Amino acid sequence: MADPLPATPLRPAEVTLRGGDLPWRPVSPALTRVRLISLGVVLAPLLVATVVVGLLVTRWVLIGTLVLLLVGAWLAWLIGRQVSAISWVELDEEIVIRKGRLFRSLVSVPYGRLQYVDIQSGPLARAHGIASCEIHTASPESGGSLPGLPVAEAEALRSRLAARGEAQRAGL
Amino acid sequence: MSEPVPEPSGEWQRLHPLSPLLRGGVVLLAILGYAASQLFDTFLNSLGFGDLFVGTDGSPIDEPDGGGDPFTTAVHHPFLALAGLVVFLGLIALVNWVSWRFSRFRVGGGQVELRQGALFRQHRQVRLERVQAVELSRPLLARALGLARVVVQSAGGSDSTLTLSFLGLDRAESLREHLLELAGRTDEVATHPAEGNAVGPDDVAPPHPWAASQPVLEVPNGRLFVATILHGSTIALGALVVFGLLGAGVRSVGPLALAGIPALLPVAIGIAFNRVKELLTHGNFHLADAGSGVRVQEGLTDLRATTIPLHRIQALELVQPLWWRPVGWYRIRVNVAGSGGMGEGEGQRETTLLPVGTLADARTVLALVAPGVPAAAWDTAVLGGGGDPTWRGQTTAARWLDPLSWRRNGWTDVASAVLLRHGRLTRRAIAVPHARIQSLTVRQGWLETRLGLATVHVVPAPGPVSPVLAHLDVAHAEGFLAEVSERARTARRRSEPPRAPLAPDPPGLVDWSRHPQGTPDAERP
Repeated sequence: MADPLPATPLRPAEVTLRGGDLPWRPVSPALTRVRLISLGVVLAPLLVATVVVGLLVTRWVLIGTLVLLLVGAWLAWLIGRQVSAISWVELDEEIVIRKGRLFRSLVSVPYGRLQYVDIQSGPLARAHGIASCEIHTASPESGGSLPGLPVAEAEALRSRLAARGEAQRAGL
Repeated sequence: MSEPVPEPSGEWQRLHPLSPLLRGGVVLLAILGYAASQLFDTFLNSLGFGDLFVGTDGSPIDEPDGGGDPFTTAVHHPFLALAGLVVFLGLIALVNWVSWRFSRFRVGGGQVELRQGALFRQHRQVRLERVQAVELSRPLLARALGLARVVVQSAGGSDSTLTLSFLGLDRAESLREHLLELAGRTDEVATHPAEGNAVGPDDVAPPHPWAASQPVLEVPNGRLFVATILHGSTIALGALVVFGLLGAGVRSVGPLALAGIPALLPVAIGIAFNRVKELLTHGNFHLADAGSGVRVQEGLTDLRATTIPLHRIQALELVQPLWWRPVGWYRIRVNVAGSGGMGEGEGQRETTLLPVGTLADARTVLALVAPGVPAAAWDTAVLGGGGDPTWRGQTTAARWLDPLSWRRNGWTDVASAVLLRHGRLTRRAIAVPHARIQSLTVRQGWLETRLGLATVHVVPAPGPVSPVLAHLDVAHAEGFLAEVSERARTARRRSEPPRAPLAPDPPGLVDWSRHPQGTPDAERP
């Protein structure tokens, strides 16, 4: 076999961690609503509880209410940022998913490596017409999930992925 | 006990009649050991306080059914204890018989099937073309009885194995060979070894891939023993003990230091357990060249033999832990599709191709299992300190995160694989064949964002090797992604299997519905 190839310049990167010229697609803004509602469902009872206890027992508990409100506001802001940070693109041979702002991640999964693709959608997400598309390869670490796709688009994506996976399928 | 060789036609067959007993062997041994220790206790007591027992029987030793022994009751009512023992043994025999009656397996119709269980029925099947490895395992008790266990491993994680325990040794061996033959044959139809095999040999196509194997090397148990002790945990423990003893000399902290030593005892026991396990697992290590695979035989008490087909190797790691540097030893581990490898215990043993060896040993093994990667490249990968012309690596921006190793950490491309290296103290070199890359990931944490760095993961099928290249410049990481993606694309196109009539795959290799835990579904929230 040949010696290691000399360190020629790397080919230009199309897929980038930020920005880029590829047609990156965002996910549905409905995902923000769904996540905000979930957040509200968790926070609201706590808020009510602290307010009631604060009014009936001791006012000091109202500090907790304030803290909860602040945390809630921060999380709500974070949810907006996170959802707007999710983007994905279908290339000729891979699907690439980017996520996160503070902790960024980019996963590039070749169609040929797909083992199966799941569509998941809870009652809340269904009510908002979105689903999440989970991509599985032979390695549990390497799958990607793409939350917040409109249901029809998720279904279409799944059948596209399945078709390409079959066409480009590579042995394990 | 040489029963007829299983026919491909696929008759249901039974396991060896002793197998349920043997499967419960550990429990039985524990019970017997407990009984024996109780008997011994009573015996000792009776020597010390003989008058306590004079009333019962006269002779304190005369307690043949000491198995009952909790404890004076049994001593006072020997017949009751005896009856209890008989019932107990009878129950064991009955359970044994029922379990044996309901355990059946068959090979045929392109798959191996195993049915088990009287109350909770279990039916597991593995398709032959998905078989990754078939191994024989011989625990101590089984070895004493001339039995062996056949473990059929398939793609799909640690839970997709099918274990036939136990069969007579002859029968087990012929079954193993039979299965490998069938699997090998279907495999050739399915993947075309010459092409699907980026790291493996390009032109090896023996008529019978599972033909007799040629010994390549063995690891002397003495070396393994020393290597097992030369481990971070034992050295840290030794240092603590030495400091403790030194501290004991100093008046002011003396008592404290001495008190600290017993406190280390649980830790010490844990470490000892771990080290002994390592020794037991990799003792008597032999590696042989089996044509299109390597055959590993190891185990101090539980002797196991596995054949790993070369094209199932997904990633290789050559590592030299810091403590092995003075003696110049190396370890080689691989990710093998289907050998689990998620858990430490089971996965580890099938994935170690060299538990400890010299550089020459390592080169031999690597040349055998990864002929696609030139020896010089491995040398630079594991020994190179930086500034090698063909390697790309970190820049000074990573200096703060990798103060020792930033010059060394990096990657290069060889013809068929991407080669990573990192670590200055513990030196590590990893090769992933382009054709085996499952996906690529770039991550960037908060600190990395500030420094303009990113971390790249090359994800192969799961196993002990996890190829990561941390803290590259962002542009470099993106370039890596582009470069390696392109190479993986080319390699995939080359290795695309001519689809045998088995497409499309049925959803499960194994009947997952019976094994809810550890299934791919378990990943889902």
